[in-house]
Amino acid sequence: MNLPLEILIALLVWGTLVGVDLVSLPQMMIARPLVAGTIAGAILGDIPTGLKLGVVFELLQYDILPVGAVRYPEYGPATVAAVATAHASSGVLGLGLGALVGLVTGLLGGVTINVLRRVNSRIVHAAALTLESGEPKALVRLHVGALLRDALRAALVTSVGLVLAWLARPLLGVVLSERGAVLLAVAVVATALAAGAAGTLRLVGRGPTLAWFAAGLGAGIVATIWLR
Amino acid sequence: MAAVNAALARAMLRLFAVQGSYNYERMLGVGVGVAEEPLLRDLADGKYQPAVARGAHFFNSHPYLTGLAVGAAARAEHDGAAPDQIERLREALCGPLGSLGDRLVWAGWLPFLSGLTMAAIALGAGWIAVGAFLIVYNIGHVALRWWALKAGWTYGTRVSVALHHPVLQKATALLGPAMGFAVGAALPLTAAYLSGPFDSWARVALAIVAALSFLALRWRGDLLNGLRLALGISAVALIIGLIWP
Repeated sequence: MNLPLEILIALLVWGTLVGVDLVSLPQMMIARPLVAGTIAGAILGDIPTGLKLGVVFELLQYDILPVGAVRYPEYGPATVAAVATAHASSGVLGLGLGALVGLVTGLLGGVTINVLRRVNSRIVHAAALTLESGEPKALVRLHVGALLRDALRAALVTSVGLVLAWLARPLLGVVLSERGAVLLAVAVVATALAAGAAGTLRLVGRGPTLAWFAAGLGAGIVATIWLR
Repeated sequence: MAAVNAALARAMLRLFAVQGSYNYERMLGVGVGVAEEPLLRDLADGKYQPAVARGAHFFNSHPYLTGLAVGAAARAEHDGAAPDQIERLREALCGPLGSLGDRLVWAGWLPFLSGLTMAAIALGAGWIAVGAFLIVYNIGHVALRWWALKAGWTYGTRVSVALHHPVLQKATALLGPAMGFAVGAALPLTAAYLSGPFDSWARVALAIVAALSFLALRWRGDLLNGLRLALGISAVALIIGLIWP
């Protein structure tokens, strides 16, 4: 991956915004892989690749229901790194390598979210007396500090993802056979579809919504066959 | 009236960052305190700081509906409710707001629109589908946040009335089936879209691996998740690809 500096900076800024949007600000769903991937593709002048990787990670996102303090992978910056990787390698090789880089970045992102929450907990615990005083400036300072730490975290995750994207092609792309590239792409697309289906079934449950899911599945199959 | 609207607007803006200091000790508490503070500024001297401190205590719920608790607690402070009554009100709202928001947004509005968007992309709509997703989703998102804050401020300690609003009940009832249908329809379309560049043998392999992965996730969901499974299967595929020319 050899990209001009301004493109790399744009991807880093976009990945950081996406990472902050996931939990902190403003949760307008630019962190959703569909959006993160499409804009990353637009930055690279390759929207089709952005859409494709966006759909793969969107399916994986269905595996996650972000309730309470549940821990989950972070697929926003991961999708940005995945699109950067895929853009450098054409076709099926790009899809497989991109998704692999994205999966590793997503794992790292999830770990850093947990670390950040622990750090925030310690800081809030240490500031308990100040918070109990009801001093608004101290409260806002604590909050803004945490927001900045999240931005730093998101930037770090995106940077690591872009470094992985830069390493992927020389380390794996050149030694992987054509068949190997297809196998890798099949593996990630298949697990993404499975995660999407299993995650949706968890949301749907066993009630009447299950019938609607089955009806939708039937309609989708008919439409797919009809469009071939 | 203008002062109240300005304070509500400030609180609304701060609510967009309510999870900014998310932590395992007070969860959203600090963010809730920050969002509530503009609504407390016109309290008498001796009441302002204790109210700000109470606002930053433990709180957890769905972020889009947190405004309901922010508005209700601020109104209760203005109405002179006892501190322990305000604490109880906040505690009582955590569960219902979390549950309602999860059903309405995380398990309804969001996957419903995401499913429609994936289907539209698979049918060739391209980036326009993603743009439409962002716009439509955020119309609902911002409207819900604003309604929650206004309803909390209007009802105060009687905020449970707002939770039984017929539009909320209707939306929750409709979004579940709509989400099921949209995502169900999106799955085969998406499978065809993603497997477009594959040869026939690769499509057969895709169907087999997807079916086995689905079964693994359904049966061993306690051990596996999508990420772990995807990493594991990708690692196996990578090793096979490296040693099989």
